[in-house]
Amino acid sequence: MAAVLEVDALAKTFVRGLLRKRTVALRGVSFAVEAGEIFGFLGPNGAGKTTTIKILMGLIFPTSGSARVLGRAVGDRAAKQRVGYLPENPYFYDYLTPIELLDMVGRLHGIAGGERRRRGLALLERVGLGDAARRPLRSFSKGMLQRAGLAQALVAQPDVVVLDEPMSGLDPIGRKEVRDLIVELRDKGTTVFFSTHILSDATMLCDRVAIVVDGELRETGPLGELLSPTVQYVDLVWSGPESLAGELEGEHTTTSEGRVLRLPDVATAQRALAAILAKGGEVRELLPHRQSLEELFVSEAKAAGRARE
Amino acid sequence: MNAVVLGLGRLWAIALNTFREATRNRVLYVLVLFAVGLMAFSVVLGELSLHEEVRVIKDIGLAGISLVGLVIALFLGVNLLSKELDKKTVYFVIPKPLHRHEFLLGKFLGLAVTLVVLVVLMAAILGIVLSFEGGSHDLALVRAEILVLCELLLVTAVALLFSSFSSPYLSAMFTGSLWIIGRNSAELRAFATSKKLEGTPLGTLLEGAAAVLPDFHLFYVSGASLGGAAPVSVHDSFIGWGYIAEAGLYAALYGGVCLLLAMVLLARRDFT
Repeated sequence: MAAVLEVDALAKTFVRGLLRKRTVALRGVSFAVEAGEIFGFLGPNGAGKTTTIKILMGLIFPTSGSARVLGRAVGDRAAKQRVGYLPENPYFYDYLTPIELLDMVGRLHGIAGGERRRRGLALLERVGLGDAARRPLRSFSKGMLQRAGLAQALVAQPDVVVLDEPMSGLDPIGRKEVRDLIVELRDKGTTVFFSTHILSDATMLCDRVAIVVDGELRETGPLGELLSPTVQYVDLVWSGPESLAGELEGEHTTTSEGRVLRLPDVATAQRALAAILAKGGEVRELLPHRQSLEELFVSEAKAAGRARE
Repeated sequence: MNAVVLGLGRLWAIALNTFREATRNRVLYVLVLFAVGLMAFSVVLGELSLHEEVRVIKDIGLAGISLVGLVIALFLGVNLLSKELDKKTVYFVIPKPLHRHEFLLGKFLGLAVTLVVLVVLMAAILGIVLSFEGGSHDLALVRAEILVLCELLLVTAVALLFSSFSSPYLSAMFTGSLWIIGRNSAELRAFATSKKLEGTPLGTLLEGAAAVLPDFHLFYVSGASLGGAAPVSVHDSFIGWGYIAEAGLYAALYGGVCLLLAMVLLARRDFT
């Protein structure tokens, strides 16, 4: 099956000002997003996420390499018809109301009048802006604009949605709602491609991720494959006689949860567990720790930093 | 056929949005109020004249429509694209299923509709003011207003061309300069072909400039002797529909070239 979004050796160098100052934003990025998946595009600020998305959306042109959307060249009108896009920190015509904004998007997609209205109102309800449908966008908070942005991206019931930092500006409730919406879209068969630097969101949502650092793709694949399954250490939360602490190997700390013993591997943890129980102690929690996306992300960013030096 | 209808629908979506933007801008209302105020003031001036009230109202009214229309065309025209870039609304529109040239044409169409509505509105107010003084909004006045509208649409196209690659301030400066030169194209030609300059490199340069730059003088006929006839005046022997058609065709062709160039410039532009 053809990839929904495909970039191949994508490079972009911006040339700015009279002195023709060059800034390399992308250095040969390649990846493909398959139909029906939630694909997270991760990277620190300035990594090249938005540049890649802008190329896919036809806003800027690559210096070299190619990009395809739904099997067609970027900018193809028929492909654009099937794509919904939420820009980073969305700016809309602030003199419009959300319902007018959605009406405009519906017109651009060639949706008939009655259907435009029905979909517009339903989507505004879905993103929690039902009561603000007729308020000018200039009176909206950042979070409300983000919601309006999501609604406009979905008006045409697209096959693929591209969301640039969709959680940006949202409170925890708003973030949860957007996460639910993304999962709902995937369940309906929509492909979701979103960029973020909020790793917890990516961990919760993504089928696959790509990590881009300093304009280079560092990793791509399913989270389960990217993250090492090996247990790196085990945290054991326990309570018991003070004398027992001296007998237990490992790193001792005390938190609000109680005494925490950090152990280097599962075997050591099992021995410590047996010792605590044998001496009348109590084990409250046993937490094996595997590599997190955050750790992978930080190690990739550091590796990129070292390579630059 | 369906593709054409859908294409027109997309153009209209952008045009409607541009029209909404213009009509929700308070500056526009201030300018229109200024034109209305000018027309009201012309009644007072007319009272001071010797039984020439209608003449004064027509002259000042037309000048008001032209002046206010020019300011609006310039103000909205130079901001048409730069505002989209400044406010980053272009990031939201360009990924939608429309071509970049459709976006530009839609913006122009929206502004053209705005200008037509404004000129018709101001012309209607002028008609009301005239009727109070026993005059009438005759066909000569309608022809004069159509000429004004053609000029405004050409100004908008020129402003749009400049705004496709420069800042609003520079665009306003360039467009304003071209309008001033264009309004004086007859004098420019006369100067270029004068005894002093004829045949000199400067004379050739000025003649070339007069030929290439937009001839806004075409739309300002009052007092001119077209084809050796008596001086043209909206009060008696005004130009006919043939001249209007010629001037309209010129505005359409010149404006079309400006839009075409703007489309070419926009086609490969990075929206960073």
